[in-house]
Amino acid sequence: MENKDQLTTFSLIKNGPVEVKGDFRITGSDGKLIETGKTIYLCRCGGSGNKPFCDGTHNKNGFIS
Amino acid sequence: MRKIEKKYSNDEITVTWVPSKCIHATTCFRELIEVFNPRNRPWVNMKGASTERIIEVVDKCPTQALSWKYNKDIAVQETNKEIKGSEEVTPEDVYISKLDYESKTTEISLLPDGPILVKGKFRIIGQNGNELKSMVMTSFCRCGYSGSQPFCDGTHRKTGFRG
Repeated sequence: MENKDQLTTFSLIKNGPVEVKGDFRITGSDGKLIETGKTIYLCRCGGSGNKPFCDGTHNKNGFIS
Repeated sequence: MRKIEKKYSNDEITVTWVPSKCIHATTCFRELIEVFNPRNRPWVNMKGASTERIIEVVDKCPTQALSWKYNKDIAVQETNKEIKGSEEVTPEDVYISKLDYESKTTEISLLPDGPILVKGKFRIIGQNGNELKSMVMTSFCRCGYSGSQPFCDGTHRKTGFRG
């Protein structure tokens, strides 16, 4: 169990972003490393004005998942 | 990763596979094992389905590791050059060689105008709090239109997603 808890976790939020928590590195579409905290929310609806991060736009564009 | 391009042709089209782009999303062989079978050598059998069906599945490749062209649009010279001297590799070879099972840090890459590519040890929790299978590699949809949410199915190329 202990080992499992250390795994990076991707939690899918209903009709919303994916929460990423744990030990990870993220590189942008330009190949450059992005500085982030230990928990981030990545856009899944395609409409965020702050890509790759969520900005709440999924509430307005009717994203369903 | 070595820069290899593999080409497979039938009478009408040529399918190109670029191992270095392949993330083992397994879309091709889940959809069409008659053509895309990594246990076979060569792993692509262009006689296994109709050209239309092959095109349909190739278009779903999330990373464009698979692509296709009509033979009439390919210069004869180019085709000959690519086929000569390249060794046979399959997605399973790529899968094994690319993964570092010892790494504790999960690698997340945002593919240009495409999905979120994740490599390393991680787990996925579904929206009902249920744990989906722990995986070592996957790609999450970013465009919002995938038909197999939360995973990428290549739809971003049709919807013109930018990001």
